[in-house]
Amino acid sequence: MDELMNILNGIDDSIDWENEKALIDQRLLDSFGVITLVSELEDQFSVEIDAAQMIPDNFNSAEAIYEMIQRLREK
Amino acid sequence: MAYHTIVYLFLFLPLVLTAYQIAPRKLRRAVLVGAGYGFFWLISRKLVVFLIGTTLFTHYIGLCLTWLKQKCRMETDSCAPEGKSGIRKKYKKKEKLVLACGIILLLTVLAYLKYYNFFAHNANQLLEAVSVPLAFPAKRLVLPIGISFYTLQAIGYMADVYWEKVQTENHPGKLALFLGFFPQIMEGPISMYSQTAEALWRCDSLKGENLSRGCVRIIWGLFKKMIVADRLYLLVKAVFDHYEQYSGIVIAAAAISYTVQLYMEFSGSMDIIIGSGRMFGVVLPENFRQPFVSRNAAEFWRRWHITLGVWFKTYIFYPMSASALVKKWNRFGKKHFGKYITKLGISAICLYPVWLCNGLWHGPRWSYLFYGMYYFVILLFGIAAEPVKNGLLQRCGIKESAWYWKRLQILKTWVIIFVGELFFRAEGLSIGLKMFKSMFQNVSLHCLWDGTFLNFGLDKGDYLVIICGCLTAAVVGGIKERNLLGDGGLAKLKTPVRWSIYYALIFAVIIFGAYGVGYQQVDLIYAGF
Repeated sequence: MDELMNILNGIDDSIDWENEKALIDQRLLDSFGVITLVSELEDQFSVEIDAAQMIPDNFNSAEAIYEMIQRLREK
Repeated sequence: MAYHTIVYLFLFLPLVLTAYQIAPRKLRRAVLVGAGYGFFWLISRKLVVFLIGTTLFTHYIGLCLTWLKQKCRMETDSCAPEGKSGIRKKYKKKEKLVLACGIILLLTVLAYLKYYNFFAHNANQLLEAVSVPLAFPAKRLVLPIGISFYTLQAIGYMADVYWEKVQTENHPGKLALFLGFFPQIMEGPISMYSQTAEALWRCDSLKGENLSRGCVRIIWGLFKKMIVADRLYLLVKAVFDHYEQYSGIVIAAAAISYTVQLYMEFSGSMDIIIGSGRMFGVVLPENFRQPFVSRNAAEFWRRWHITLGVWFKTYIFYPMSASALVKKWNRFGKKHFGKYITKLGISAICLYPVWLCNGLWHGPRWSYLFYGMYYFVILLFGIAAEPVKNGLLQRCGIKESAWYWKRLQILKTWVIIFVGELFFRAEGLSIGLKMFKSMFQNVSLHCLWDGTFLNFGLDKGDYLVIICGCLTAAVVGGIKERNLLGDGGLAKLKTPVRWSIYYALIFAVIIFGAYGVGYQQVDLIYAGF
């Protein structure tokens, strides 16, 4: 989780990543933020994030992002 | 048989509703599928085979993808951990191939019927220019109604099965209902399988609440279409058909009028369609959400023809974003050019195919392609200029949330929209360019009161009705935007107030609706796409 928080703060340190639960729905994280995040996550966690994972539910909170990474790692 | 016609509203829809309700639950699905194909046949006759063919083909592609996924699961379950990744890769390749075949075939049919003559015409001109004695013959091709809509839904379904977002059914009826639900055939909304297929398949009994809410939505749609859009059609047609006779304010007014006409007509049709669906207990996705309060072009496209935008975002933008090309560029760009250029590059790579397809989807015309590229450039410029804009705002002490800044942004977006729609409506790109230029010639406000605008088949009363209709729509839009009535909508109001609104709407349509002698039946614009 710490690794993830470092990446998220690197993208935008003005967002309260720990508590925010609607990053996509409230447009705090836009499409391009998601793209940047995806490539950082792939590099850091050695997972492959394809278009199927690009749904708001997977990116609305740091927790959801973390769960997605865990899911993809198990695959 | 368009959705605003008497035949649909007073004959087809009530007949289907009655047959649906009296049929046993198991037969209701057949009633809906039959109604869909019957509706299609009434407009496109034997071309209904395209819809049936697309449905069966898509169904079997879905089954094939599911079969491959099951086989992959079985093989990985029974193999050693180190071999699992290889098996998954092998099957992923096969699935990709099946999906690609499905998409290519559907797109080939659409491209051939919709774009062949456009391609042939332009290719012939090019061949002639380089003196090659070769020519593509023009063909008489008839487009099945709604092909652009149901093809996108079918491709979306195949991709969703591939991504395991939805599960296939062995029975093709569910897909047939999803692709051939009669209110959606002509103009969308382009729904995803996960949004409507389940409710359609469930075939719930009709409910009083659904029927009344559906009816009100239909009447509201008729209000927009018949009171405002069909009146503005006269002005728009008069100016766009004889554009060479006009300049300055008249051309600008025609561009604004066309934008309002298109919105009132398309969103009005959507109200009728969504209302029809609601009567059967099916909640269709919304296609419009107060687009004229958008602060920039990107927001406008999140509020205008929403389902098309969501489709492009889901099935083109995100796959492009997750592509190897974008990932490579992201890494390379950050290393060599910094965040700003990298983001701009990603934006260009991902947005270009979206807007190229958006332009092409509307039809085989250079002006539609220009329309797509127009928004591509504006959106890209918006992203490029964002740091400069933010810096300027900070320096001038203007807050993003300041009311005057919001109004200015909305005004700027209106100009972008009106210019875009001018090119969209013009009969060709060169005419669009001529009209755009002439908008800046002989600019004089005199034409506003010298009677020029009374020569377009509209009198002062018509203009008053249009203004009142627009104001009513603006008030309703404001209530929706602030969610003042909540999810319950009008049902929240007291009975006398609610019924006063119902009667006011009905009488407004009867008294002020543009129909009967002196008015020409106006075809639905988006049914042509």
